[in-house]
Amino acid sequence: MNNAIRIGLSQQVALKRQMDIVANNLANMNTAGFKLENLILQEYIMPGASMPGHSAGSNYLSYVSDTGLKRDFTTGEMQNTGNPLDVAINGEGWFTLQTPDGNRYSRDGHFSLNQNGQLVNLSGFPVLVDGEPIQFEENETNIHIAKDGTISSSEGVRGAFEISVFENEQLLQKEGGNLFSSPVAPQQAPPENITVAQGTIEKSNVDPVVQLTRMIEVQRAYERSANMIKKMSELKTNSINKLAQVS
Amino acid sequence: MKSLHIASTGMMAQQLNVDVISNNIANMRTTGYKRQRAEFQDLLYQNLRRGGASTSGEGSTVPSGIQIGAGVKTGATYRIMSQGTLTPTDKTLDIAVRGEGFFQIQMPNGQTAYTRDGTFERDDEGNMVTLDGYRLVPNIVIPADARDVAISVDGTVEAFLAQDAAATNLGQITLTRFANKAGLEAIGDNLLLETPSSGAANTVIATNDGAGSLLQKYVEASNVNAVQEISDLIAAQRAYEMNSKVITVSDEMMSVTARLK
Repeated sequence: MNNAIRIGLSQQVALKRQMDIVANNLANMNTAGFKLENLILQEYIMPGASMPGHSAGSNYLSYVSDTGLKRDFTTGEMQNTGNPLDVAINGEGWFTLQTPDGNRYSRDGHFSLNQNGQLVNLSGFPVLVDGEPIQFEENETNIHIAKDGTISSSEGVRGAFEISVFENEQLLQKEGGNLFSSPVAPQQAPPENITVAQGTIEKSNVDPVVQLTRMIEVQRAYERSANMIKKMSELKTNSINKLAQVS
Repeated sequence: MKSLHIASTGMMAQQLNVDVISNNIANMRTTGYKRQRAEFQDLLYQNLRRGGASTSGEGSTVPSGIQIGAGVKTGATYRIMSQGTLTPTDKTLDIAVRGEGFFQIQMPNGQTAYTRDGTFERDDEGNMVTLDGYRLVPNIVIPADARDVAISVDGTVEAFLAQDAAATNLGQITLTRFANKAGLEAIGDNLLLETPSSGAANTVIATNDGAGSLLQKYVEASNVNAVQEISDLIAAQRAYEMNSKVITVSDEMMSVTARLK
């Protein structure tokens, strides 16, 4: 009977974690370049206590455990912002940003110029263009970003965005600030495979309807689990009362 | 319950989003106003199971770990400095900038402020001033007997004085450019100040170095697009509601736990 309560508990722990993930997805439904997450749950089988001479064949307990996180890397909705330094990547690929901790990758293409005229992201990290940060002169105007990622201005062609691609995007880790880090070095996307759009931002790929439905599921499952625990606890009380009755 | 706090960061972010949108809508008819946008970033992540950690002595590793985020924060409310529509006004001292430059304004405290609002007036001494009476830099004095003040595309101000047949040059309006004009600090009254992130002011003659040209008898309307703002407002409101639902659900889950015993 204790086992049933513990199995219920394992489900509740997993559901709470899933609730946290749903909440984070919903909180970031307007974060540019955000990629939604989902918890992977797995059955964890443990042999129950058995007595010698008893067949232990069916005596297994099945707990639930959260083993991993699956990120959905589908492209988010594209929104036109009219800002010439907003860039969205159509299809695969990541912008490469130079941070003090090494290169980081992002799908959030909201860039601006800093006081030196360098092209930087919201946190002030320079975006790599042809392997190094790009700096615009004060009198340069008409920054134009072509479909293949080539940046040109009144001074002519200035370079092309360094677009990184990964064989397995699931290995990417979130760092906060719309940045991802990668344990393996990326490859550079060949220019013919790159399509970027100027004046556009890739919004988060969170579908609120799906998240809200999932949230309801989590809530109901949590209630069921709690009910089960309660019933089991009542059962125990009853059995103690009944067995302890001396006639 | 982390979800409770995560959802509260979501609600705060959407609240700020609504603030920014409402300010844009309120300034829809403000001359030279540049619309703002709130940009969000995800908060730090907590690694509960690190991806890449080994799961056996045989070199197998966790393919994707468990990271739980802490919600959202506002990264910036940046200004979109795109050109606003030029509207004819037929007023002699209305000037619009077509391009990147800003007018320089002398503040009473000695600072120089910058603006895209080119509705100038004459004060009692004939100085060209803003609607608040702050002088333009360089100061341009229009004598009382001046007729037909003309401002050329490069900022040269000319007028016919008294009964003169030839025009007299009264000075030249210069414009200022910044490396990062989105980094200027707004101080209200359509004025902006230089900041460390905007870069140093670079004063140039209009039509040179990409500063843009001047257009007399026009003003630059705000670049707020009403349709876009309203649809953003709807999206922000719904996002706010959904985050509040998360709070309700988290609360109910906690109450279920509390009722267990």
